[in-house]
Amino acid sequence: MNAPDRYERFVVPEGTKKVSSERDTKIVNAASFTIEREDHTVGNILRMQLHRDPNVLFAGYKLPHPLQYKIIVRIHTTSQSSPTQAYTQAIDDLDRELDLLKRSLEVF
Amino acid sequence: MEGVSYQRFPKIKIREMKDDYFKFELRETDASMANALRRVMIAEVPTIAIDLVEIEANSSVLNDEFIAHRLGLIPLVSDDAMGMRFSRDCDACDGDGQCEYCSVEFHLNVRCDSDQTLDVTSNDLRSTEPRVIPVDVASRSLASESGGYDSQERGIIIVKLRRGQELRLRAIARKGIGKDHAKWSPAATVTFLYEPEIHINEELMETLTLEEKRSWVESSPTKVFDIDPDTYQVKVVDPEAYSYDEEVIKKAEAMGKPGLVEIYAKEDSFIFTVESTGAIKAYQMVINAIEIIKQKLDAVRLQDSEEPDMGELTQHL
Repeated sequence: MNAPDRYERFVVPEGTKKVSSERDTKIVNAASFTIEREDHTVGNILRMQLHRDPNVLFAGYKLPHPLQYKIIVRIHTTSQSSPTQAYTQAIDDLDRELDLLKRSLEVF
Repeated sequence: MEGVSYQRFPKIKIREMKDDYFKFELRETDASMANALRRVMIAEVPTIAIDLVEIEANSSVLNDEFIAHRLGLIPLVSDDAMGMRFSRDCDACDGDGQCEYCSVEFHLNVRCDSDQTLDVTSNDLRSTEPRVIPVDVASRSLASESGGYDSQERGIIIVKLRRGQELRLRAIARKGIGKDHAKWSPAATVTFLYEPEIHINEELMETLTLEEKRSWVESSPTKVFDIDPDTYQVKVVDPEAYSYDEEVIKKAEAMGKPGLVEIYAKEDSFIFTVESTGAIKAYQMVINAIEIIKQKLDAVRLQDSEEPDMGELTQHL
């Protein structure tokens, strides 16, 4: 009767931003990115890719609650970089990796 | 200040490829990528499945919702699913999900008039779109084209009717993903394993008697090792059969020969096994999964509205 729609698990509600970032008030070059309607699939590849960046001092993600369909990615970088830059860079790198993967499969 | 790239360059090697089975090696990437691929194949690669059923007449022994559920679980050929629209964001039919862009209609009209029990199967479903049909029907018509495979094989049974019973209905199939309902999952099973690296300490192994070697080889629950019939040396016959149970290591210790064998999991090397329900070819499932991850990553990029934040940050430095 009052059950939420099943698609609420993966469709971003209207008026909500897919990604929002919040800077840490106490530490420079630290920020949290809240990603709506994503889970370990994206959170974990993003985290591992961020770990490959030597300017990233800390990168982690959490799924605060299984019924809140969002993840929080926290990034802390050196002064050579910024959380936003590292985040964008990680996505670009992953995108290129997947491109390569796709092309090497499509040969067959 | 444009960042340098920390991209990985994974390699793929195909082991075996059939329509509903695909085995390949994925190397030079990490477990997060392998797991993302697995998760996406199971829960986020779209397929088409029956989602809405209007029953006109049902005098069978099964109730309406039971039949609707069974219809939903029938895999349909979903090669077009990636290009289709989800009904919820289809603007051609303002959300009722019944237009050609986001749905396929099926009709079923069966009545039993004989004394013999009549099986209502996926064969009886009439599709309005010839490209979207039950997978077993599609594979059978393909088989009969290429040289008379026995077409006696029946389809997926929906319900059985006795004399006088009938079933008439209209069904709408829609695009969906496994996260929403498992009926939309194209995956039967998707698994990956770390490639094991097995080193036998030959010197230590030679201190064992043949009887001891035999009992050590037997200690593995899966057939990983064997004894060469000519040289009586222990050899690895199938490293991938090893299930990381460490039984052989425990056995070696119990025999007073620790370090007889060393087994490592190669942390950047995976062996994938993909089995499909038939809705999408197993190979295509992997390609679609890669495409979906790309789309997901694209969606989590920072939007232009985030830019001031970045400007502010650099000022801060």
